[in-house]
Amino acid sequence: MITWPNFVSQVFNGLASGALLALISSGLTIIYGTLGVLNLAHGAMFMLGGYAGYVAYHATGSFLLAVVVGALFMVVVGAVVERVLIRRFYDRPHEDQILLTFGIGIVIVELVRLGFGSLTLSVPPPAWAAGVTPMGFLIYPTYRIVVLAIAGVALALLYLVLYRTRLGMIVRAGIEDSGMVGMLGINIDRVFMLVFGIGAMAAGFAGIVNAPVVSLTPDLGSSILVQTFVVVVIGGVGSFPGAILGGLVAGEILSLTSMVDPAYSEVMLFVVMTLVLVLRPQGLLGVPGRA
Amino acid sequence: MDSLAIGALRRRTVLRAGAGLAAASALPFGWSHPAAAAEPAMGTWPAGSSGDTVYVGITVPRTGTYAVQGEDELKGYMLAVEHINAGDPLIRAMSPRTTKGVLGKKVAYVVADSEAKPNTAVQAQSRFISENKVILMTGSTSSAVAVALNKLAQREKVLYVAGISGSNDTTGKDCVRYGFRQCFYGQTAAAALSPVLIKNLGKNKKVAYLTPDYTYGHTVQKSMEEYLKAGGWTTVTDQVAPLGAADYSSYLLNISNSGADVLVNINFGHDAVLSIQQARQFGILGKQTLIVPYQTPFLARDVGADLMAGVYAATDFWWTIQDAYPLAKMFVASFEKKFGYKPEWGAENAYMQFALWAGAVEAAGTFYPPAVIKSYEEGRHTPSLVGDVWWRGADHQLVHPVFIVRGRKAADMKSPDDYYEVLETVPGEGVMQAPDAFGCKLGPYT
Amino acid sequence: MSRRLPLLVEGLTALGLVLAPFVLPTLHFAPDTVNQILIWGLFGIGFDILFGYTGLLSFGQSALYGTGGFIAAYLLTNSLMTSVLAALLVGTVGAALAGVLVGLIALRRTGIYFAMITVAIAETFFFVENSPLSAWTGGENGLPGVPAPDFRIGTLTWTVGTGWSMYWFLAACYFIAIVLALRIVRSPVGAILTAIRDNPQRARAVGHAVGAYKLTAFVVAAAFAGFAGGLLGVQQGFMPPDAFTFDTSGQLVMQTVIGGSAALFGPLLGAAVWLSLRDFLQAGLGLGGAWRLVLGVVFVVLIVFLRRGLIGGALDLVRSLSGRAQPAEAPEEAASVALAAPALVSIAGRRRHDAGFSGPVLEAQGLTKIYGGLAANRDIDFTVEEGELRGVIGPNGAGKSTFFKMLTCEVPPTAGRIRFHGRDITGFDVSRVCQLGLTKSYQVNQLFARQTVWQNVVIAALAERRGLFRLDMLRRIDRVPGLETQVEQTLALVGLTARAAVPVASLAYGEKRRLEIALALAASPTLLLLDEPLAGMSPRERTETVQLLKNIRRGRTLVIVEHDMDAVFELAERITVLHEGRKLAEGTPAEIQGNSFVQDAYLGGVSAA
Repeated sequence: MITWPNFVSQVFNGLASGALLALISSGLTIIYGTLGVLNLAHGAMFMLGGYAGYVAYHATGSFLLAVVVGALFMVVVGAVVERVLIRRFYDRPHEDQILLTFGIGIVIVELVRLGFGSLTLSVPPPAWAAGVTPMGFLIYPTYRIVVLAIAGVALALLYLVLYRTRLGMIVRAGIEDSGMVGMLGINIDRVFMLVFGIGAMAAGFAGIVNAPVVSLTPDLGSSILVQTFVVVVIGGVGSFPGAILGGLVAGEILSLTSMVDPAYSEVMLFVVMTLVLVLRPQGLLGVPGRA
Repeated sequence: MDSLAIGALRRRTVLRAGAGLAAASALPFGWSHPAAAAEPAMGTWPAGSSGDTVYVGITVPRTGTYAVQGEDELKGYMLAVEHINAGDPLIRAMSPRTTKGVLGKKVAYVVADSEAKPNTAVQAQSRFISENKVILMTGSTSSAVAVALNKLAQREKVLYVAGISGSNDTTGKDCVRYGFRQCFYGQTAAAALSPVLIKNLGKNKKVAYLTPDYTYGHTVQKSMEEYLKAGGWTTVTDQVAPLGAADYSSYLLNISNSGADVLVNINFGHDAVLSIQQARQFGILGKQTLIVPYQTPFLARDVGADLMAGVYAATDFWWTIQDAYPLAKMFVASFEKKFGYKPEWGAENAYMQFALWAGAVEAAGTFYPPAVIKSYEEGRHTPSLVGDVWWRGADHQLVHPVFIVRGRKAADMKSPDDYYEVLETVPGEGVMQAPDAFGCKLGPYT
Repeated sequence: MSRRLPLLVEGLTALGLVLAPFVLPTLHFAPDTVNQILIWGLFGIGFDILFGYTGLLSFGQSALYGTGGFIAAYLLTNSLMTSVLAALLVGTVGAALAGVLVGLIALRRTGIYFAMITVAIAETFFFVENSPLSAWTGGENGLPGVPAPDFRIGTLTWTVGTGWSMYWFLAACYFIAIVLALRIVRSPVGAILTAIRDNPQRARAVGHAVGAYKLTAFVVAAAFAGFAGGLLGVQQGFMPPDAFTFDTSGQLVMQTVIGGSAALFGPLLGAAVWLSLRDFLQAGLGLGGAWRLVLGVVFVVLIVFLRRGLIGGALDLVRSLSGRAQPAEAPEEAASVALAAPALVSIAGRRRHDAGFSGPVLEAQGLTKIYGGLAANRDIDFTVEEGELRGVIGPNGAGKSTFFKMLTCEVPPTAGRIRFHGRDITGFDVSRVCQLGLTKSYQVNQLFARQTVWQNVVIAALAERRGLFRLDMLRRIDRVPGLETQVEQTLALVGLTARAAVPVASLAYGEKRRLEIALALAASPTLLLLDEPLAGMSPRERTETVQLLKNIRRGRTLVIVEHDMDAVFELAERITVLHEGRKLAEGTPAEIQGNSFVQDAYLGGVSAA
């Protein structure tokens, strides 16, 4: 159904879902860039963040508090996972790290299932963001507009942290040259713990923000994980701007192709990924020679 | 005894001697030759029913997106087994010859997580057949699993009664002699629901479909389109979404911009819950009437009364029909007493499948599978939770009513579980296709 | 792989498969469970070749499993083929072809990228099977009615039934698969795959077409997956759509890791553990849906503490119990290596060039390398004559390493041309350059760390014997003509003959350095570049290595980058001095010592120290 209003609606929708994907993907990229670890538990952390937000919301009744508490909880989860498990794996092959995070992901999903069951749980959007907002010929759920704004702000904050702080300097140094971080004479252990925590938080935070849009189940993370991978491959592994661009591209593909034949929008995502791999293997904004 | 069983190969001449051959299962290492199984011993018979206890194998999803429906179904089976062994009056109403157990034997069940995957279900049931010598298999929350188990049943010569299975194919082109389905399906749902919709909503409506991209979804969509034509309803868009899509925003935007009056949401399970919740977010539910042709158990509890208000749905069972059906009242009461909530139709369907099976076996007087099947096929009318029902011998589908319900406003609910009002009870025989219309060929008894 | 009992593993496998139906029922294994274990095990053989042997962790195996399975099932259920075996074969070939396509895309990247791409590919295949192709695959219903095979020999007929009858068919398939797989891993290709796993850069540098071998491993794994997929349909009489789901890939990975990788039997053991634990947790302990959690925890614990899985753990245990855990330490005496008399072993560089060409061996013009605006090398002209021993010196940061990397085509120059025996090799792959007879030894050892000295040299010698790429997957490695002699001579030349069976990890540093040189030598180069061969050596090791260098220069041309001035001035006939990325001077040792620029820039500093 290609009509002008629908086209504009879908472009906007692509932006909204793309921004969220970008946020999740940037977490994956930061972790990989600094620690050299591909986090296959990222989808599970997205899901866990949603459940953390759910618990916090029902304990406090405040959506904002739920977001804050949930995000902090995810930092702690990330840091603990890094401290207890990931740390043992820095000098082991990439493949071992991947297997480890894959296993962690399964354990998280099944723990949540054990604790919360498989019935869907939902977090209502805050009262001030319920309902729909008419935007000219486009009617759009208010809360999704809020999600777009939140994701935008979160990405901007991440940008500030990465490009304007000492921690960010270290992380970016790691992204550009993983050997260099060791030479800077920094307490690597603590930085790595923090970075994994921040990466987990990016996923978990997105999970909380997304909870009022897509209600929670333990299996929520798996499809997100695949989309995140596609985003990162399109954008370029280890590139923060690449994660953002990749996220937006993926969001637009999913939305715009649905106008032609919705059954194929998911497959179009993979077609574009393949094209990028063939034409520009390092990703749109990736640096050749890495990974 | 076949002395050549020491080797892998058998002489054809011996094969031709057919009648003298021993039961395949008696051969060392289980060498077998299905074509030669002319002897009465077949499947798990008589091994499965030679002791004091007979086993039934249950596979339902206990993990994954259908786990809720699976657990509900399992509770229905558990209650039925308990009632059969105790000779509960409810069972005896549906299976008059039952005293305690089935043919005097205690019924026990073994259960495995099917993860809603055909492969896992088939593997688990195969294990039950060889390990527990189950004489009956059951359980499914999707037609993929039901069809797979149908085929397993036919191959292994062990009866299978389906759980939830909405595809026309289960008793259509994928029907088998050894498989039976009780619940309603795409065709009956569409045929029963459409006239009610036209009556309540008027003629010449514009319809948007949200269809899950698999066989079940497409068949239901086609059936609905077909039956709604009678009222001059036209399709403005059919949004096909992949199974398990989390975010329906792009589909819903297309629907929102399509100018439809009515949204027919064919999604099942978790997909139904998510797509309905998101349709509300997009302000669609205010503008378009939502119709759910194939109601998912727990849908109303999951999405809440305010979303379900005014929604039209077809279903196999809703607990408030108990006002019209005394047996349903007994069932709802026992179920709630044991499990603490009102049963959904997955549990009701499960319970009835076992009750009707007990009745068929008692009527046959033997566990010998072809005799039990013939007992099913007699077309015997039986009182049930939903009134008088009978099996169609030609496609093994139970003839029973379809209930058309509409979501109540929260204010109109008389109790916390009173989500729907029953608009109409549509008798089964009128809405069912001819038994061979979907290409059903049942296959051999042996 | 015992040489005395060449078919020991095959024999034990056959014995085990024959005994299983008698033993396993007493352990409460149902025949269907055993059959599933066999199929997972067969599926995993291919994955183990890909992951355990080649080091490529793929989460996309379900795509190929499903492809093979559905092709076979489609042919059989639509009566396009009547022979089950033929349909299985077509499915296997189909999966292999799909493997070529998928491999060409996924293998464009390595490491984590590769893993991510395979995840996406698994999802794509599932989607395509489930939706656009549902008319052929039955969509979510799969394809029911897959027949079982029957065999006729003369008047004898065996129709495969279910249960233990099916077992014999599957066991035969598994046996054939394992025999094939054993041959593959014992072939030259198998050795090269492990080399790629342990050190892909070096495998390429000694002259193997790494990309082509990786694709080979991927396609082999795809074929095994396709075959297993076909068997799944036959075993169940039904081809399930969930063969295609990502979960299938995940389960395969977990089973392989639990059982043990790089052992071929790991996936079989892992599947046995997985399936029996699943049933036990569900039925025995009544855990219901929590069984996956327990298996997930088991998996994580194994990854952390028992990386080589149950088989690896068992082997380690046996080894430590039999007291052979510690390979002999380098004996003190052995360090004073009896370097073989040069007359006895001299493996001259093998000429691969036009005999008529009489110009310089190597000729570089205007070589320039710029990294992000900084010039590492600028406009270097460099010529080496046949038989020459050239020294290249320069202070730290002079750009010597970059210069060497450009000469062997490890990095492409930003500008300039390189000619080798008159042939322009600019932009060639490093493996091809090595095949032409130009290779180098590395400043930092680049060895195949998980293998023995002998195996290391074999890997390098294989490139010399077999060329860039050859698919001799079913040939035994000891049947490669001339390989053993080549390896023995190389080891004798560097004085490591007595240490041939020692794992690299147990070598002394000096020995590792010599092995490093041996890897380059085994390629029989006509021009050998040595990047700081004396770095980090004790005085005695240094003396021996200088002697070694004198030995190996017979019949070939050498270029040595070295910090050790005394050695360079002792060995080299001509010396090139690099300074700040440019060529500062070139001449005989005497000329260089007398060059005032060099003294200012470099030697002055040294003599002042």
